[in-house]
Amino acid sequence: MDWQALALSLELAVVTLLVLLPLGLWLGRWLARTAWRGKAWIEALVVLPLVLPPTVLGYYLLVVFGGASPLGQVFAELGLPLTFSFGGLVLASVIFNIPFMVQPVQRAFEAIPRDLAEAAACSGLGGWQTLVRVELPLAWPGILSALVLTFVHTLGEFGVVLMMGGSIPGETKTIAIAIYDRVQAFDLAGADRMALVLLLLSLLAVAASFLATARLSAAARR
Amino acid sequence: MDAAPGLLVEVQQQRPMPLQGRIEAAPGELLALVGPSGAGKTSMLRVAAGLMKPQQGRVLVGGETWCDVAQGQWRAPQQRHVGLVFQHYALMPHLSAAGNVALSLLHRPRAEREREAAHWLAHVGLTGELVRRRPSQLSGGQQQRVAVARALARAPKLLLLDEPFSAVDMMARQGLYRLIADLRRELSVPIVLVTHDLHEARLLADRLVVMDAGQVLQSGTPEFVHRAPRTPRVADLVGIANRWQGWWEGGDGREPGWGWLRWGEGEAAVRLRVRDKGRMSRDRAVTFVIPGDALTLADAHTAGQPGHFAARVDGVRHQGEITMASLTLAVAGGQPLVLTLSGRERRGLQAGQALAVAFDLAQVHLMPLRPAG
Repeated sequence: MDWQALALSLELAVVTLLVLLPLGLWLGRWLARTAWRGKAWIEALVVLPLVLPPTVLGYYLLVVFGGASPLGQVFAELGLPLTFSFGGLVLASVIFNIPFMVQPVQRAFEAIPRDLAEAAACSGLGGWQTLVRVELPLAWPGILSALVLTFVHTLGEFGVVLMMGGSIPGETKTIAIAIYDRVQAFDLAGADRMALVLLLLSLLAVAASFLATARLSAAARR
Repeated sequence: MDAAPGLLVEVQQQRPMPLQGRIEAAPGELLALVGPSGAGKTSMLRVAAGLMKPQQGRVLVGGETWCDVAQGQWRAPQQRHVGLVFQHYALMPHLSAAGNVALSLLHRPRAEREREAAHWLAHVGLTGELVRRRPSQLSGGQQQRVAVARALARAPKLLLLDEPFSAVDMMARQGLYRLIADLRRELSVPIVLVTHDLHEARLLADRLVVMDAGQVLQSGTPEFVHRAPRTPRVADLVGIANRWQGWWEGGDGREPGWGWLRWGEGEAAVRLRVRDKGRMSRDRAVTFVIPGDALTLADAHTAGQPGHFAARVDGVRHQGEITMASLTLAVAGGQPLVLTLSGRERRGLQAGQALAVAFDLAQVHLMPLRPAG
């Protein structure tokens, strides 16, 4: 059992959430509300990480942020190399998880009747007050499921992590990579335990989120 | 200047939907916007509330300018102190009745907010444990009352009601009518009610504004609009059933204010002496209407007297308190007539019966002929 890899995966998942939550709330809410013509293109871009093979995504991340690219060189000079580093892993993970965060958040905001925000405005609530007192409480079940999906998905991410980060223990060797390494080394017993941990963790998280969502939705209507 | 202390909304726009017209209401006056769905009634309300910015136009309330497109002035809904009751209530499903009302009072300390919310809920007739219920645990009528309380808690300078009764059953509706009538008496702000129910509009409103296809067609007291619709379309929209075409000959110079209306052609034609309001040029085809209360049933033998026409009853339908009768008048080759009867004269009315109908000719109202199409 590679505890270091598990800890790294959990750390990556938490940091990804912290970066992605504000971005996802903002983008999801904007997509839910806007009547802008280019919306379909933004929505397509949001879904893209879901339909592309991880290798293609990883390849382009390498091209754009790799050591040979101008952007990669800028970051490297700042002491933040984006390939084969934890920072690069976070970047890849954030981009890869955009659909898992943005889509549920967008659906949650879309489900809020438009006249509630108008009623809030007529009651004198400003934009932030409407967000905090009306929209977030109503969208909360959707936001929660977005958080859980993103968290679990980050724990299990493999392809992009491998392309972008390699397998440096303590830096980029996540639990999914560790499992792959164990299997490559014919250490099935080692792989077995880690796979089981990942399986149970994911199952628990998703089940808990479904339960919580059902309860929250019921509470909001009752 | 027309900086009236009440309400003035003026809109001219083509996009996103055509909307034209001007509505005015004095403080304490209840104005009903009536018209079919898609007439632009709700859009007018949204312009007044600041939920929609018109292409051109102004909104003045209580001496304040809420919107003046030409001057570049605009106040967001938050800065307008407008109470808007939405058609489907728009209550926050996650908040109690009291929590919904308290939303309008966020600028106040928390304890005061709760007291004030309870006060407004009691004012609309909701007390006890009802105020702690979520909207989904309240009946439609109760939800509507919460929405009204929330609008009142805003200390509105203008109260807007968008089809407030459409989703409420008949029983609850009577109570809400009383509530609105009470509010009209106690609030000294203009109230605008959007409705497609003419009965409701006549019951509650001081003045009607008739809208169709984004245009304000006519405004006036319900009585006036009903007696003197400006166009055949208005007559349609305010539910005037009897409308015919004739030829306006004009006055004959003997008696000012009166003139001759020819009904029918050739042998079958009759000439009616009706009021000349001076709005219609002579020798032209016209549409004319007569309000139902200017028609009375009479014995068949009176036909031929001035204003009396022989008629045959085609059908009678009793509908509870009222009876609808369709008749054919023996004039101008046979003209249809619909009567709504509620008194003693509806008894014993039968299909096939011959009788006479007396027209109070002073109540005949002339309008331009409806344009083709």
